[in-house]
Amino acid sequence: MKTKTRKLTTRLLAGIIAAAATFGLAKPADAQEILLTGPLAGAPAVRKLRLHRQGRFEFSPGISFTILDEYRRTMFLGARLGYNFTDWLEIGVWGGYGKLIQMDTYLTDQIQSRNHDRVVRAMGNPLDTERRLTAVNLGPNFDKQLGSLDWILTPQISVIPFRGKLALFQSIYLDTDLYIFGGPAIVGITERANCTDCTSDNVHNFPTSSHVAVAPTFGLGFSFYANQWSALGVEWRFLPIAWNTGGFDTAGGGKDGEFPDNKITSADERFHFQQMLTISWNMNLPTKVRLSE
Amino acid sequence: MKKTGVGLLVATALWLVPNYGWAQKAKGKAAASASVSASADTSGDATASGDAAAGDATGTGDATTGEATPGGEATPGGDVPGGEGLEDICKIDPTACPNLDMDKEAARKFKEPLYAVQQIFALRVRRFELAPFWSFSLNDQFIQHPGPGLGFNYYISNVLFVGLNGEYFQPFNQDQSFNAQVRRAARVAVPLTEYQWMAGVQVGYVFAYGKFAFLSDFIFQYDAYLVGGVGAISDRPIAVVDPDNRNFDWKVGLQVNAGAGLRVWVNRWLAATLELRDYAFNDKLEKLTISTTNPKDSSQWYDTNSHLTNNVQAQLGVSIFIPFSFDYRLPK
Repeated sequence: MKTKTRKLTTRLLAGIIAAAATFGLAKPADAQEILLTGPLAGAPAVRKLRLHRQGRFEFSPGISFTILDEYRRTMFLGARLGYNFTDWLEIGVWGGYGKLIQMDTYLTDQIQSRNHDRVVRAMGNPLDTERRLTAVNLGPNFDKQLGSLDWILTPQISVIPFRGKLALFQSIYLDTDLYIFGGPAIVGITERANCTDCTSDNVHNFPTSSHVAVAPTFGLGFSFYANQWSALGVEWRFLPIAWNTGGFDTAGGGKDGEFPDNKITSADERFHFQQMLTISWNMNLPTKVRLSE
Repeated sequence: MKKTGVGLLVATALWLVPNYGWAQKAKGKAAASASVSASADTSGDATASGDAAAGDATGTGDATTGEATPGGEATPGGDVPGGEGLEDICKIDPTACPNLDMDKEAARKFKEPLYAVQQIFALRVRRFELAPFWSFSLNDQFIQHPGPGLGFNYYISNVLFVGLNGEYFQPFNQDQSFNAQVRRAARVAVPLTEYQWMAGVQVGYVFAYGKFAFLSDFIFQYDAYLVGGVGAISDRPIAVVDPDNRNFDWKVGLQVNAGAGLRVWVNRWLAATLELRDYAFNDKLEKLTISTTNPKDSSQWYDTNSHLTNNVQAQLGVSIFIPFSFDYRLPK
């Protein structure tokens, strides 16, 4: 019994010493690991980074162009005002006014051209078939019944995850950032007014009415910094919203409400994934840029 | 029991060996520092000598235990065992003796050329680029023309490439419900065209490159390029004015294109690409009137005028560069 206990103790002691020796061997390896990691261990990816945004106000006047429009294009004259709490977070507001510059599309011109001929014919022949079939949808001037986005105001949060620099033609070097933004958009819309007796008299245009709608808006943008206090901005904004762009009776009737009902109602508003491009000149205050460590 | 004793001795020896190394290393470092200070005055490259000597510290420790003298090899011009070294050189040939005023050298303005992007992340020159993509229509609210495509380019220089480009559309054309709504509401038919395929040659220029830091941590590289080309497009009108009688055949025409793209590198041979390109061509549209005498006469189906059509596309894809690896001409 005594011998057994002694053997066990000896083996246990040998095991402990062997384990301690193994542990001891690892120490030089630790030193090597420090050498491999080198003096950049724990260093930030970028030193002396120009903090174009942190602690600065931003005022960015610009112009926004709607794209993929069916009947009318709108250019919004507007601006973005914001404050950058950090170099990657901005809270602000963007607004634009679109009543000043609006252009009809080629399709609008084509429709109006055909519509004008029908209206003229109907003056002599009130039973003109084509005119009767379109009397609910087309007044004497198609462009006067078109829907339009009058103004947009949107409080928004911008997150700037990407900072970088750009070599242009291997000779011009610019600081850049890429940001994403989002928020609720408050939109002023003018569109054909609701009606139950909607047939045109061939003389008066259809009445329109304005209302305010709320829709989400989001997008992404680039900033190309020209100097310490200003940058060229390019944004692609999305605005999913339902509205009646042409003033047509397209829905509300039939089994599933997808057929015309000879009335203009909210059912005739169609969902549009409205898109717009913005070009802006971004100005930052204070004008002097700070550097990171 | 005897074996256990031998085991204990071996284990103890194993334990002690690395610790002995530690002690020698510290001693070696001190020796290295001394060596550096000795050599700095003459070599003017204290850091280099210091690194070499520090790296040699363990070796010096081994030397004391009876191994050869690797430590002696790693101290060029610094270690002077036996009184030989730079001083002897100076005695033999005073003109060859380095004579530098270190304070003066340290104060000297050093203008190293620096570039905004020190070394382009991925060189493109003499590499092939295989670029599969999926395209989306950006300017056609009446009919969408998505489809797969493939670009194949060769980079003549790091910024200039030539290549081929092709797309296939036929099963993917999407007539939008908006067209039917306009036809029903305004009784105006919008002529529609569907595409079958498109192919051409192209030339491109990488006009910008740079790098982005994601949340100030992960850095990735990108470049931007301009591209343009000429080729062929096969398309045909979709019969909307008189679908009972009209059935159009595919016709091949000339197309020219221009665009710009952004390439974000994943590694040195793979990148994600986003390209915007405008394909312009003269389109023969369906005639808006129907022949009263012979509506089946195909010569009466087309509008007499051709119309310049711009198909603006967003192309989302990847770029695979072959060969996968390359060598830089200059060190970083």
